[in-house]
Amino acid sequence: MDNTAEVQDREDSLKGVGCSRKRKEDARFVQGTGRYTDDLKLPGMLFADMVRSPYAHARIKSINKEKALALPGVHAVLTAEDLKPLNLHWMPTLAGDVQAVLADEKVHFQYQEVAVVIADDRYIAADAIELVEVEYEELEVLVDAHRAMDDDAPILREDLVGKMDGAHSTRVHNNHIFNWQAGEKEATDRVFEQAEVTVKQDMYYPRVHPCPMETCGCVASFDKINEHLTVHLTSQAPHIVRTVVSMLSGIPESRIRIVSPDIGGGFGNKVGIYPGYVVSIVASIVLGVPVKWVEDRMENISTTAFARDYHMTGEIAADKEGRIKALRVNVLADHGAFDACADPSKFPAGLMHICTGSYDVPVAHLNVDGVYTNKAPGGVAYRCSFRVTEAVYVIERTMDVLAQKLGIDKAEIRRRNFVKVEQFPYKTCLGWELDSGDYHTALEKVLNAVDYDALRKEQQEKRTQGELMGIGLCTFTEIVGAGPSRNCDILGVGMFDSAEIRVHPTGSVMARMGTITQGQGHQTTYAQIIASELGISSDEISIEEGDTDTAPYGLGTYGSRSTPVGGAATAVAARKIRAKAQKIAAHLLEVSENDLEWEVDRFKVKGVPGQEKTMKEVAWAAYNNVPEGMEPGLEAVDYYDPPNFTYPFGIYLCVLDIDKSTGETKVRRFYALDDCGTRINPMIIEGQIHGGLTEGFAVAMGQEMPFDEQGNLLGNTLMDYFVPTFVETPHWETDYTVTPSPHHPLGAKGVAESPHVGSIPCFTSAIVDAFAHLDVTHMDMPHSAYRVWQKVHELGLDKRA
Amino acid sequence: MQVDLEKEFELPGSAAQGWEFLQNIPAVASCMPGAEITDTIDEHNYKGKVKMKIGPAAMAFNGDIVISNIDAQKRELNLMGKGQDSKGSSSASMDLTAWIVDADGGKSALKGNASVTVTGKAASLGGRMMMQVADQILNQFGANFADHIAAMGAGVEAEEAREHIAQQPQEINGLRFAWSVFIGWLRSLFGGK
Amino acid sequence: MAKQHVSFKLNGKQVDALVEPRELLVHTIRETLSLTGTHIGCETSHCGACTVDLDGKSVKSCTVLAVQADGSELKTVEGLADAGGLHAVQKAFIEEHGLQCGFCTPGMLIRAYRFLQENPNPTEEEIRWGMSGNLCRCTGYQNIVKAVQTAAKTLQQA
Repeated sequence: MDNTAEVQDREDSLKGVGCSRKRKEDARFVQGTGRYTDDLKLPGMLFADMVRSPYAHARIKSINKEKALALPGVHAVLTAEDLKPLNLHWMPTLAGDVQAVLADEKVHFQYQEVAVVIADDRYIAADAIELVEVEYEELEVLVDAHRAMDDDAPILREDLVGKMDGAHSTRVHNNHIFNWQAGEKEATDRVFEQAEVTVKQDMYYPRVHPCPMETCGCVASFDKINEHLTVHLTSQAPHIVRTVVSMLSGIPESRIRIVSPDIGGGFGNKVGIYPGYVVSIVASIVLGVPVKWVEDRMENISTTAFARDYHMTGEIAADKEGRIKALRVNVLADHGAFDACADPSKFPAGLMHICTGSYDVPVAHLNVDGVYTNKAPGGVAYRCSFRVTEAVYVIERTMDVLAQKLGIDKAEIRRRNFVKVEQFPYKTCLGWELDSGDYHTALEKVLNAVDYDALRKEQQEKRTQGELMGIGLCTFTEIVGAGPSRNCDILGVGMFDSAEIRVHPTGSVMARMGTITQGQGHQTTYAQIIASELGISSDEISIEEGDTDTAPYGLGTYGSRSTPVGGAATAVAARKIRAKAQKIAAHLLEVSENDLEWEVDRFKVKGVPGQEKTMKEVAWAAYNNVPEGMEPGLEAVDYYDPPNFTYPFGIYLCVLDIDKSTGETKVRRFYALDDCGTRINPMIIEGQIHGGLTEGFAVAMGQEMPFDEQGNLLGNTLMDYFVPTFVETPHWETDYTVTPSPHHPLGAKGVAESPHVGSIPCFTSAIVDAFAHLDVTHMDMPHSAYRVWQKVHELGLDKRA
Repeated sequence: MQVDLEKEFELPGSAAQGWEFLQNIPAVASCMPGAEITDTIDEHNYKGKVKMKIGPAAMAFNGDIVISNIDAQKRELNLMGKGQDSKGSSSASMDLTAWIVDADGGKSALKGNASVTVTGKAASLGGRMMMQVADQILNQFGANFADHIAAMGAGVEAEEAREHIAQQPQEINGLRFAWSVFIGWLRSLFGGK
Repeated sequence: MAKQHVSFKLNGKQVDALVEPRELLVHTIRETLSLTGTHIGCETSHCGACTVDLDGKSVKSCTVLAVQADGSELKTVEGLADAGGLHAVQKAFIEEHGLQCGFCTPGMLIRAYRFLQENPNPTEEEIRWGMSGNLCRCTGYQNIVKAVQTAAKTLQQA
């Protein structure tokens, strides 16, 4: 009897892995019943608002709160002096530094928090902050990272004077944070000395901001009677927040509940722990009522979580055929006034040493110096794994420069240098082990899809007519899924993640994870993983995250770690359940466990048709009829410590045309092929790629946080800070190959950040390509019309014939 | 945000008249749209106030003015003004050197170099219009200054000048001001600067 | 500050509220009237997360005073669905995966609802311009465009 169709039907009805299942979370979002932090209203709740410094570097001479306190409706005005007795005026950062909660004697960056006002409502709070009188004495401002370690540079961190043992290395200057190196310096230098060809390119990756639609905020509520603290906040890592709050406040973790409700986008912005959270908690404890703090857009862009700000130099030594012999990368990292980068503790430059890219590089050396400047702290991974965007940018840009110097096509030079499919797992010379990949196949697929040769021919013709057409290429490898606890921790907590699954007697499932969705659709996709593993329809599986009272401890969602780590924990926990279920099924069917085989949603006795138990039947039995000696129930927890990172890759190609008279760029075509291993929900993957590409477009074409010499941030509203609208955003074409990860239980690698990481160098590659015949090798971002026009003008291309 | 400006205004009076007026700090301050001297501490030190409204941003700067140098020989005066917005979100300072020179026909001219620095919200929100804004403020200042010199004289022109002075708005007018800034900006675009 | 009485029709129901003269409409809707579907994203009228339908026009409620809404007819995302179920634009956003974090979604929906009355059969270009006052950081807009196209078809067939 052919029952394939029947089995297939059963499989389809599960809506498991591989299904473009519609999202579970959408029903509430389209009806306006999502629950975001600012939606929360508690009885007696007060509002906090910040007094911020107009100066980037100044001494605070005095703070006068009297007028503010006299305003009806104002309950408190707190300054560093008030936090001192609690030892909360400074707090530890994730990077081993300390950060002022409220400015202590000195302000170190513009818009730094100086005092907080607590009032009846947000209007009164806003009035009151204008009444707090602060007297400042201006100090010399340092905004140029290149000047930070000059002999005559102003000293920023007076609290660190004389403390030359930094968290990561010896500091060689008062404004120096760390030096970090990877690879072999001498061996690399030797290859450079003897190389047939060398290229060197300086590039600046501007300071940008993730700018999610929802800004950061929290509602802190301290229950004085039970001495229990509940904080709802916009956090991508609620469990770590609980640990930090406990360490800071002395309240045991068991009496702290951190809830990340619905989050309106994170993109790295919501990883950090911000002064606003800390002062709201303090205010709630002191006043005994709930306190809400929600930043406005200007505060968001100015103070919470910048990204990038890397001054990089990429150098390649190669032979005449363009085969790489060595790579050298130097970085000056501008970390702002406090080192609050969100990286695994051991990696002050994140995973920057993935900068050998998709290429077989024999030897390399990376050198990174981090410095303090009078800018806001942050250094988060803006839709990327820690500093991977920077790493991919430097290698991809330098590869293009090498291709240009040798007159080799940029697709061809990549072909010659790719790690070959038979070389995987491939150990890079900077210490990573790339798990799997097939770069050549993916590249050819893209080149064929866009008819690359025809595009190059068209470009040739356009050039003879004096028109500017650019073709960009980026062949990147990401490193995500942080990470193995042997080298990844945050504040000493290993970067595992967790899942807890409970199968109820009637066969429905409740599962909780240590990660937290911010739009990625975890409620939908985790259920699909469990559905496939347990043979229970995903529609009967509920997923909950973000509440530290109920969810198992996890490190949260950023750096594309949910699928590689949380997803793996979910699969492994489900497999523990299935293993127990198999024992119960064997007991029910009165056979040996080994006589059973699994088929979609049931255990079958091998070779005996009709002898079977569905998972639902087993679930019921788990609560009333288990084998002798087995404890009842059907649930499992897994804390998954990944054996390795995962290494998604992609091949992106961009075709654009530049208007010579305005500098405006029109992206004609953008073709993105991604390989994220096993695909759990193709619809969601495509959505993530569209979003990542659009954020990449924003960064490449317009986002920047410019500072003037006085340390003023010029552009911290959406008037200036570029967030593309429907109109600017190009149409995206997506494609994929599937090269499963050999070490992930499902073979999945993670996807959401690849499009951001990969598209940015692709845009730059295309812009520069439009000018490549005029010996232009690099142009710094952002490629706004004005800046592109400046290049057009400099080259005299805008002159009418 | 710092901008440096150089300005020259023709004065309808003699250099002596110009110099006489220039030394009257409260009167000179009143030529600055929206500005006034609120307290005279001594002949070199004053306290002042500037009210400004540009678009949605209303600011009132309270600050100190120090006359750091008066050179009667050169008819030159050096002034440092520094103030903080009463809301604490912005601050501004100006280092100004002004001097009077002789011009043809018994007339004179007021010349000045100013360096204006702005920090805080005013810079973040208004940074890219700074040059035009400062330029317009100084243009209004120059016109008012010239009116005062004309008013020192007699006749119809002096009468008109006195009327102008009386009508001078007490703060920088948002809309009219924004328009003149916009025109200034357009000119800078097409002026080949 | 003395409060003022305002009265308007919100999602078909007459409501009254006491508001400060300077109070923004979005705060009245969210805080006084407890309809938190309308979100605040920028306070400078750029992002459109706070878009509501006021007397048949899409407006950004972060830059409208509550007193200006006196006597008006307002619709927010909470008023889109009716007894017959979800509105066509709501269904289309789910169907085409036109939302991720959901924060911009209420503003997008209420704008799409009005836009499709202004232009029932739009081209992709017209959708992109017609919706361009609403920002989204997650979707890259492509699936929102599709959703608006799908909703247009459904509404035309109805």
